[in-house]
Formats: sequence, C-alpha cells, structure tokens
Amino acid sequence: MNATGPWRARWSPGVGGVVLGLALVPPLAVTWLALFWWPASDAWRSVWAHPSFFTALQHTLVSAVLATTLAWLSCAAWCRWIMLQRRVGRAHVGLPTILAMPHLAFAVGVALWLAPSGWLLRLVSPWATGFEWPPNWSTTQDPWGLSLTAVLWLKEAPFLCWVAAAHMQHHTHRQDWARAWVVAQTMGHSPARAFGVAVWPPLAQRLRWALLAVWAYGVSVVDVALVMGPTNPPTLSVLAWQWLHQGDPQQQAMGVAAAWVVAALALAPMAWWWCARAARLGTARVGAAVGAWTPSFFALRHGAWLYAAVWVALALGSVMGPWPFPDVWPASWSQAAWLGVFEAGDTLTDTVSLAVGAASLSVAFVVLWLECVPGGWQRHWQWLLWLPLVIPQVFWAMGLYGLALLAGAEGQWWAVCVAHGVMAVPYVWLVLGPAWQRVPGHHAAVLATLGRTAWAYRWHVKWPMLVPALCVAWAIGYAVGLAQYLPTLAVGAGRLSTVTTEAVSLSAGGQRAVGSAYALVQMFLPWLVFVLAGWVARARRIPGVVV
Amino acid sequence: MGIQRRPLIGALASLPWVSTWAKSTADWQAWVDQARGQTVYFNAWAGSEVINRYIQWAGQQLARRYGVKLVHVKISDAAEVVQRLRTERAVGRGAGQGSVDLVWINGENFAALKEQNLLFGPFAQQLPHWQWVDVTGKPSVTVDFAVPTEGYESPWGMAQLTFFADARRLPTPPQSMVDLLELARANPGRITYPRPPNFHGTTFVKQALLESVPDRAVLLKPADATQSAPALAALWRYLDAVHPHLWRQGQQFPQNQGALRQMVTDGALLLGFTFNPNEAANEIAAGRMAKQVQSWQFARGTLGNTHFVAIPASAPHVAGAQVVANFLLSPEAQAHKANPTVWGDPTVLDVARLPPAERARFANVSLPGQVAQPAPSLLEPHPSWVRAVEQGWAERYGR
Repeated sequence: MNATGPWRARWSPGVGGVVLGLALVPPLAVTWLALFWWPASDAWRSVWAHPSFFTALQHTLVSAVLATTLAWLSCAAWCRWIMLQRRVGRAHVGLPTILAMPHLAFAVGVALWLAPSGWLLRLVSPWATGFEWPPNWSTTQDPWGLSLTAVLWLKEAPFLCWVAAAHMQHHTHRQDWARAWVVAQTMGHSPARAFGVAVWPPLAQRLRWALLAVWAYGVSVVDVALVMGPTNPPTLSVLAWQWLHQGDPQQQAMGVAAAWVVAALALAPMAWWWCARAARLGTARVGAAVGAWTPSFFALRHGAWLYAAVWVALALGSVMGPWPFPDVWPASWSQAAWLGVFEAGDTLTDTVSLAVGAASLSVAFVVLWLECVPGGWQRHWQWLLWLPLVIPQVFWAMGLYGLALLAGAEGQWWAVCVAHGVMAVPYVWLVLGPAWQRVPGHHAAVLATLGRTAWAYRWHVKWPMLVPALCVAWAIGYAVGLAQYLPTLAVGAGRLSTVTTEAVSLSAGGQRAVGSAYALVQMFLPWLVFVLAGWVARARRIPGVVV
Repeated sequence: MGIQRRPLIGALASLPWVSTWAKSTADWQAWVDQARGQTVYFNAWAGSEVINRYIQWAGQQLARRYGVKLVHVKISDAAEVVQRLRTERAVGRGAGQGSVDLVWINGENFAALKEQNLLFGPFAQQLPHWQWVDVTGKPSVTVDFAVPTEGYESPWGMAQLTFFADARRLPTPPQSMVDLLELARANPGRITYPRPPNFHGTTFVKQALLESVPDRAVLLKPADATQSAPALAALWRYLDAVHPHLWRQGQQFPQNQGALRQMVTDGALLLGFTFNPNEAANEIAAGRMAKQVQSWQFARGTLGNTHFVAIPASAPHVAGAQVVANFLLSPEAQAHKANPTVWGDPTVLDVARLPPAERARFANVSLPGQVAQPAPSLLEPHPSWVRAVEQGWAERYGR
C-alpha cells in the first residue's frame, strides 16, 4: 500500500470514488428498505406480549454469548500454540477446509453422532447401556441451547483463528510481535505468559471485526438453530423466521419486528465498543487477561478428527436405508439419494456457475478497492466491507431483494450472482487486504526509476507476486457464494436452485439420506476448489512472499 | 362450465346451452393456443423427493402435449409466496408483472391471498376436467378450511390425518385421542407431535379439539370469545393430561413432521402421523421405512382437507397456468399421482363417474403400509380456530 502511492494518484479519486460508491449501494438499500418495512406499533406490542418472546431471547443470548466466548478463548489458545510451536508461517494451511464446510452440513453431521439415536449411543447399546430404544436424553436440541452453543463454537473458532493467522503473518506485525514476545521473555515471563502480555493484546485489538461477525452470526443464525437449537420455544431468530413464514399479515409484521430485535442485538457490541472508545476504556487489558487465562493444554493437534468425523457421518448417512436403534449399521443401503442428486443437473450447474461468478466478482471488486481507493478512505470506510457479516442475513436478503425488484431483475442469474458476490466480499477482503500490505515496496521504486508505467509494475511485478493470495481469495469467495441460502431464495424468486437451497428444503422435509447427500456435495465442491487453489498457489509461490 | 351441467340443463331449451358450451370450448381452445410456448413458474413445496419427481413427470407431459414449459420453483413454505406476492404488489407490480404463475396452496395462505384480491379468477370451474371433480362426495374441494373457494383455486389432491407405526412394536393401534392418552401413559416418552404453529402440530391439536368438544358444529363457525371458551377448556384439559407422558415430558417438541417420521423410523417414537394416507407405503417402497410399518385412521374419523393450485393476479402466464391446472386435474395425471409407488396422493375426482377407460387407470394396487380401513374424513374447523388454538397453546405450553 505504502509504496504504490505515487501511482494510485493517477486513478483516484475518480475511480476510487466510483468503487466506494458501489460499496455504499447495498447498505443504503438495506437501510432504506428496512425502514420501508418498519412494523406498526401493534406488531411491536404483540411481540413483547408473546409468551415465547423472553424465553426465546434468553436462548439466543445464552447460546451466542457462550459460543462467542468459547470461540474467542479457543482462538487465543490456538494463536499461542502456533507461536510457541513456531508455526505461524504455515498455520492457516488446513483451516480453509474447515471454513469451507457449510454450517448446516456441519450441524447435520454432528447430530448424526450426538443425537439420542446417534452413533455414539448406538456403539455402546444395548450391551453397555441397556437401551433397547433411544433414551429421552436432550443431547441435541436441549432446552438450554448447549448443543447449539457447541456447534457454533466449533464452527466459528476456526474462522477467528484464520483471521488471526492472517494478522500474525502480516510482515510488520510478524517481526514486531516476535520481537515483543522475546523481550517479554527476557523480562522473566514464561513463553506462554509472554504471549499473553506482549502479543495477544495488539492482536486481539485487530480481531474485533471478526469477533463482531461471530457474535452477529450466533445471534441471527436460523438453519443451524433449527437442527440443533432448543425447540420450545426456539431461539429468537427462529421465532422471527417462523413468524415471517406465516400467511397471516399480522404475524408477518411480528416477524419483521422480531428480526429488528435480532439486528439490534447483533449490532449492540458495536455501540458498546464505540462508547468504550469514547470513554477511553482499556479493551486491551481485557484482551491481555484472556490471552493469559487460556488452558495450557488444548487438543488442537487432534481437533481435525472431529471435522473428519462429520464427513464420515454424512457420507454414510447419504446411503442409508432404515436405521432402527440400536443397530450400528443400517438394515440396508441405497443409492437412491445420489441418483436424485445426479438427476438434478440444472441444480449442479447453477450452483457452480453462481459460485464462480460470485467469486470472480468479489475478487475483482476487492482488487479495485485495494488498488484505487485512497488509503485514508480505505481505513475510514473499511466497515462497509464488513457489513454483510454483521447485519443479519434476513435484512440483507430483504434489501437485495428490494433492489432487484426495483431493477426488475429478480429471478435473473446475474442478479443472484451479484447478491452472492456481495456476501463474499468481506471474506475475500480478509485474504487480499493483508496480502496487498505484505507486498514489499522497493520493487515499485526500482521500476519507477527505470521509467516504467504503473501498469507495467502491476502487471509484471505486483500481481504475479499475489497470484497465490488471489487463488486462495477466489476459493474463499467461491465457498461463500456456494453456501448462500436466503439471498438465493429472495433475489432468485426461488427460480434458481443450488445444492444449498436443496439441502435446506429437503431437511425441512426430514429426508436424511437426500439431505446428507446434498450436504456432502455442498462440502465437496468448495473443498475441491481449495485443493486446486492450494495447488496453484504452491506452484506459483515466490520465495519470500508468504500467503 | 357447460359440460358439467349437461344433465341439468338438458331439460331446458337446448339452444342457449349449446351456444354456451360452444363458447366455453372455444374460450378454452383460445387459452390452449395462447399457452403454447409459455413458461409456467409453479411455486410448490419441495420437501419431498417423490413430489418433486411427480412434478418433473407432469412437466414432461405438458411440454410434449401443450408446448408448455413447467418450471418447479422449489420453496420450503407456501407462506413465502404469500409474502412475495404482497411485496410485489407493494412495489407496484400489476397484472402480468409478477414472478409466480401457479402456486400450490390451501388453508390460511389461500384465505390470505383471496382476502387481499391477489388471485386470478374465478377459473377453476371453467377448466374442462372440472366436470369429474367429486363436488358432492368430497365437500372440501370447494370449501377450503371453511372458506369457499369460489373458483379461485383448482383442487389437486386430498389429504387426511393418518397415523403410522411399526406393527412389531404397536400391534393394536389406538383408535381415538383417548386411546392415545392411555398408550402414552403405558409408554412414557414414546409419543409426541410437532410444535404448533407447525402445520402438522396444529392439526394434531385440532384433532384433539374435535374429539374433546361436545358439539362439533361450533367449530365450523368463526371462533368468538364466549363460544370458544368451553371448547378450548376441554382441549387444554386433554393436553394437560397427555403432556407429562410425551417425549421429553412434553417440554420439548420436534420441529416438523419430517423430524417426527425420522424419529419413528429410528425407533425413538412409537407412532407418527402424516397428511398423506399413502406416505408409509411410499416410504416402504422407496426403502426408507421397515416393511412392517402399517397406517391407520381413527375409526370415527380424522381431519381431512384438500390441497389446491391457484393463479396469482399478477401471473405473467395465465394461459399456461390454466393449462397446467387442467392437466393436473386430468384422470391420467390424477391416477398417476394416486399410485402409491409414484406419490400416493388421493384423487379429487369422482372415480365412479369416470368413463370406464379412465376409471381403469385407478386400478387398486395394494401395497404394504397402506391404510386398510379408510375412515370418515372430518371437516377442518374455521381458520379463526387455528389462531385461537395456536395462541392458547403458546401461552400454556410454549414459554
């Protein structure tokens, strides 16, 4: 960013302004449409007075607070572990595979293991437990929201770790923090303690947007809460979603009001955090405490087995016939589910083409943002890029749908593609932002003294160096585009179906085999792209440039 | 319209009738001509593979015979469509400018669309195949949850609350809600129902309501505070008695009927229920359920209703949508749908009245898992009872 300054001046502020303007369109549309649908006061009253409201709110708060805290602590432990193991450079290698695993597929796979009729109990029944039938235990969908918390924690912790790894690999941070860590050790702290004192506080400071995204996801998630969450009453977001899906206009208005409450909850930490900044409260001090507290032993090295178990469960679930308890294996196997998946050729081509389009659009947009928007604007407006992660999906879907309606573009392939691309932007930016900053500045200066143009520098020097990062970013954009549900449904007028929409609508019908098959495809497609991206990135790796 | 009235009007002067008949035939032919080459977006619940496959089959037939392209827009709840149509109107989309041509619908969603004038019609009685619809034997084909359809939706299939269980675990099925209470007492934690306002959960509660009230006539009228209090009190007495013996002590409930069915096949529950009398037979044929599962309806009747297709007022392809609705009503399509190995959804037609060749299509195939002794179908209460029941349920059990 620093040394490219002289050339950026030629493009900006014209092009930079246009890019910034583009970034502003979706949030403005969402805000405008959300106000357009502002519910009447009696809808608000019915929501407060509804007997399920406060318990549902409590379920939401408990699961989101616990899951966010656990993910935060795990991330701190993981960062310390890679620091102590001196693995910072290649720490993130396995993470995208876990990140690419869609939340819903993960939840379905975990339920196959943990449910009272799941594998864990079948393996020990009836010989050890004496159970002839599944017990009435609340191992999934428990009334306290603990199983939901566990799934959210296991799915969100890798995301935080991945963002943290990107920051730790940042070339200036990496050297500064390594130095600080050594200095803290010379002052008598143990290596672990030194991490908590010297590295974690500045790192934690940089993770707040990601943390906010984790919190917002925990508060507003619907599909995972349907599979894993409490049922009577469900979490507030599920309740809102159920009301929104009633034919009766009064209940739909209640659904919009409840969605507003969810949005307010999702954004609440931001308000707190601005107040804290205004009051000059030391958030770093809290961070230091977290970094020092974490348990020294953590099953990080073997954590990957858990995610592998989910793959296994879904693979077997997709070929299962009837599976009465306590049989460990089903009475018969069937390939019917897979035949159904392969017959739906349109769904597969739509899925892949939308994901490819969304990935390409989001990468192109972020590259334009990084190249054309002046640095000061970038710092000032970076929160715009984070918004799709922070604002509840129901609102994004509503806002993008409203835009599509105004443009007369609902049900069009390109409109859905743009909607998916918007959702992928924050993730792509998370990869490309640090990569752009890692580009060493001296090449630009050398080429400038040789009288070459800015384009020559970009084309022959800078971008080739960034190919590995671009590959990884594209793969992430592809995975995010593929996992979209609400935007596909809303903007696509339901006319475009993807493996994700199929997986959700079939899981609504309780079809385990087909649901598992689609979940597996939903996991496999991004995994494949990650493998390819990793392969290209390795082939194009340039010594000294870390991706 | 004319065809169906042939025996009635035959006694009258024939000339005006012939002209009506000729006119309606010509009108219909005009729709068919107009439909050729149109693409019909059919928004239909897609939570079942067999149903999706049936719609695919219908699409192939329609393309071949009428040159109409049928696109199944897969949705997870018909209320999504209600909301979509309302939003489209709010931004000023008028006739021909919407995104939905045909929607699979009934009950409160139909009531909402009809009340807000969001439907095209009346069209159902003008469809040529309407003549075979069993209007007298199946009263719910013209009265949808106590709301008269008035030709704004065309019947597609019949549904009736049907229970299923593995005969090895439950040799003598309960025949009433009272029997069910006894069964729950003897087998604590092995019976449950989806949480209202889920459609199947509310249906289960409505069946309990129907069996607890002294006089069922009150349920066909709108629920007002004075009339409904004693009926609801009887219902709550029943649920208070049965809940402690349900799955997870009646504190938690499954989300939907799919989850319920999965729990039955896994062995977590003794019995489940469905609205498709042939669901168990279908699942057995597909290899997803054990062969020993049997279906039954309570001897003195269970709730029954009809599901329909309707055309939104903003539909861009009204002609194509009517051709699709008419094809779905044809004896051929209805017989294919009623086949338990295809879908198993009972027909809305009066099979006895069909010409012999068409009647033969409905040959009785007996499959394991089918209902052996069909029971009477009981009328759905007025939609206002749904709200009363769901609100009361949430207050008492949904905290």
